[in-house]
Amino acid sequence: MTPDSCWSDLRDAAQVLKSRHLSELLGDDNRFDALTFEHDGLLLDLSRQRLLPETLDQLVALADACQLKQKIDDLISGEPVNCTEGRAALHTALRTPAGKSLSVNGEDIIAGVQSTLAKMEALVATLHSGQWRGYSGEAIDTVVNIGVGGSDLGPLMTCRALSDFKPKAAQGIELHFVSSMDGSQLSGLLSRLNPATTLFVLSSKSFTTIDTLANAATARQWLVDASGLDSDVILRHHFIGITAQPEKAGEWGIPSQNQLLFWDWTGGRYSMWSAIGLPIAISIGMEGFRRLLAGAHSIDTHFHQAPLRENLPVLLALVGIWNINLLDIHAHAILPYDGRLAHLPAYLEQLEMESNGKSVRLDGSATEGHTCPVLWGEIGPNAQHAFYQLLHQGTESVMCDFIVPAKRYTDRGQELQQQHRLALANCLAQARVLALGDKALADDSADAAPPWKRYRGNQPSTVILLDELTPYALGQLIAMYEHKVYTQAVIWGINPFDQWGVELGKKMATAMLDELDNPDRSASLDSATRGLLLRINTLREQA
Amino acid sequence: MKICVWGDELAAWIAAAQLASYGNDIIKAGSALAPAESAIRIEPGLMDRLEQGIIGGQIRSSEEEDPFSAEIHWLAIAPGELEAAGEIVAHLAAVHQGSLLVVNQSNLGTGASDQLQSRLDENKQQHVVYLPDMLQGGQAMRQFAHPEVMLVGCENDSAGTMFTALMRPFTREGTELRLMSRREAEFTKFAITGMLALRLGYINELAMLADHVGVDIETVRDGMSTDQRVGPYYLSPGCGFGGQHFTQYIEGLAGLLSKTRGSTLLETVLKQNEQHKELPFRKLWQHYQCDLHGRRIALWGLAFKPGVATVESAPSLRVVDALLAQGATIQLHDPEALEDFRFHYGDHPQLVYCAKPYEAVNGVDALLLLTAWPEYWSPNYTELHRLMREPVIVDGRNVYDPQLLHDLGFTYYGVGRASH
Repeated sequence: MTPDSCWSDLRDAAQVLKSRHLSELLGDDNRFDALTFEHDGLLLDLSRQRLLPETLDQLVALADACQLKQKIDDLISGEPVNCTEGRAALHTALRTPAGKSLSVNGEDIIAGVQSTLAKMEALVATLHSGQWRGYSGEAIDTVVNIGVGGSDLGPLMTCRALSDFKPKAAQGIELHFVSSMDGSQLSGLLSRLNPATTLFVLSSKSFTTIDTLANAATARQWLVDASGLDSDVILRHHFIGITAQPEKAGEWGIPSQNQLLFWDWTGGRYSMWSAIGLPIAISIGMEGFRRLLAGAHSIDTHFHQAPLRENLPVLLALVGIWNINLLDIHAHAILPYDGRLAHLPAYLEQLEMESNGKSVRLDGSATEGHTCPVLWGEIGPNAQHAFYQLLHQGTESVMCDFIVPAKRYTDRGQELQQQHRLALANCLAQARVLALGDKALADDSADAAPPWKRYRGNQPSTVILLDELTPYALGQLIAMYEHKVYTQAVIWGINPFDQWGVELGKKMATAMLDELDNPDRSASLDSATRGLLLRINTLREQA
Repeated sequence: MKICVWGDELAAWIAAAQLASYGNDIIKAGSALAPAESAIRIEPGLMDRLEQGIIGGQIRSSEEEDPFSAEIHWLAIAPGELEAAGEIVAHLAAVHQGSLLVVNQSNLGTGASDQLQSRLDENKQQHVVYLPDMLQGGQAMRQFAHPEVMLVGCENDSAGTMFTALMRPFTREGTELRLMSRREAEFTKFAITGMLALRLGYINELAMLADHVGVDIETVRDGMSTDQRVGPYYLSPGCGFGGQHFTQYIEGLAGLLSKTRGSTLLETVLKQNEQHKELPFRKLWQHYQCDLHGRRIALWGLAFKPGVATVESAPSLRVVDALLAQGATIQLHDPEALEDFRFHYGDHPQLVYCAKPYEAVNGVDALLLLTAWPEYWSPNYTELHRLMREPVIVDGRNVYDPQLLHDLGFTYYGVGRASH
């Protein structure tokens, strides 16, 4: 079968299924068993999606026709799948356990990965034992991660998600994340921190990211002013650089012993598994970090080896394809029912939209249909008081991912366990009402209700159920989304590993900086920008 | 009277020696008839009196006589040994059907004596009296023999009569007896110890400040002591207090305060003390521009205080850990605690154990004095200067004269003496 014939079959199927309400589909008692998939403690429940088990067969046929198996092989074996930048995308290698090997361009990259992990481990041990000393000789007790995008979101999301897993040695170290280029996070933080005991981690793949370097320069000056010491002493004891460009980090002043390296084959939004994950290791210990990697590796192996029809990331991706390309749904809400996953929506926004927000195929032609939808999200119970109104009664079709652990607070008091039960109940109830609408009610009382009290239902959702939120389970969850993104990119025929769309804005901003400094050069700009510049510069002169 | 004395604390040996002088028969529990710690052995007058008692037959070890045969028991055991005390008392209750007096002079915390009492039978006239340990090293014999005031936790008249009779030889000169409940007496002891820790914490904080404002804390301290309300005691700045007992005891009180009152007052003192232990390291770190890799450093004094052979909670542990992590080599000397230190660290490529103080300073980039052992107070400065590669002295106990060392060509760092 060709992709075209598969698409055609799917369109026919969609034509039929569009007219069937989820309440009708859920009438089938075997539906949960038929549409629920499990691997290594991770459960994917697709029974509230607007499809039938045989639809999955058709979707898998499409994936086969798009040579997904081969493409997964290419990804994991280090083929240059990032074709616009001519390199591999080997985040899977970052979680491959020691002892294995993978040769790319004649080099065993697993050995390199393991040696970086060893350097991280030594560094974390020094910090945890209170032997990383600041300029006064006091032990470092505060770590500030300066990074943006992939160098911020992954560690931030994970540290928050796994805050219950701090080993005792890590409890004396306070972690902060700074990303915004305008310095608003940093300025507030610096007024509270003790320079003598603060260590900055500069995370930048290129070590040219202006956002990060602007914050780093402010931090360095703060330390030089506070200590009265030369900046090379300060750089030696208060800065760690994490980068794929050691020369650039060296030029900025990070001595080589304070550099942790990763590689150009690690995409920014796929980098929390690399040295970029240092804040995670500081927070949950190296052992916890390795469990996170192990969880991701479990999904990597599954993605590589499991048949597509049982393959969790593939199925998650195919259901997305069904919703986007066949049911015409272009909004996707991420709804974790666990406050620790507060930063997961932002993380997945970057992962999905920066990866698959593309409209040009690998061969340079324009894509035919839609690609990545608009993603957003919020902790579910809080979102219930914000945008669920639109989900229930608005005009937009929205697909939702509910993410929830079955167990929490098992070693804590009854009251907290009761709170988690409350969250679970809300998660199940919302998924149910979104699917069934007011048919969720036992009787027919809804029929008599006024129109503004009616619930249409038929909003599709996926429930991802974790046993418990642990480092291992989080590794699984994130790896599943990564591979989902790759699978969709294969179906759409696009490159998920570049981000050329963010380049032009950066370039223009550099030019605009000159315009702000020398206002008379504005002649070449459009009238809208010229107008605003004039206004801003007038206001600045008045100050 | 026949009295069995339990424990190896200073208070135990003082009680044994003094009570033996007045016709009592003393059984000293344990096989040793001399204190293990040199700090106790040097207590003025103690060893002579012990010897007399042993020769005269008034003091015998529990190997010579059954300790449980006595009807009066004096407990002066280490803090944290409440369980052991409980076992002793429980055994006493089991073997004695008649009256018993247990004098508890151990720092086991508030409520400990009541716990011990609960194992005895009051109806058989078996009672616990609590006597807070107020003895100070150096004058303990005199303080025991001529107390001005005696705080006693006693809740039974006949026990009070018995205890007063026992102590009569020492209280004839009009000692004021303050009777209170056992619990109150224990809490009073607690409160005093906490106060002393606060004073130490305060003077050390002032010392840090003195570094910044350019005054000598030793001069300031002299001035402070002239105010009678302040007095001279427990005001010596230094690189932190250690020792298992004192620290453990303060920790107990700090924990109690924070748990029941949410108060962090003593916790802060303890936390600051831990940081203070690293002070000599920090001075050195700053002297060598934050790089000690490959430096050779001498440590004089490893014990937590002079006169003891243990390094429990001693500043030396923190300093050595910090220096090892920075890749320095350390040459160690201590007159008594070297073995205990070696027990903690074993043989390590960066550690050199030295039998003689001058051996330790040979070829070093700095000397750190951490324990004020008498033999370190007046070294041969010429020899010291000759042996050291860099004449840098970090004096964690303020035993040297800054001006003299400066004149002799040393770079000197004390605690709170930046004016030099």
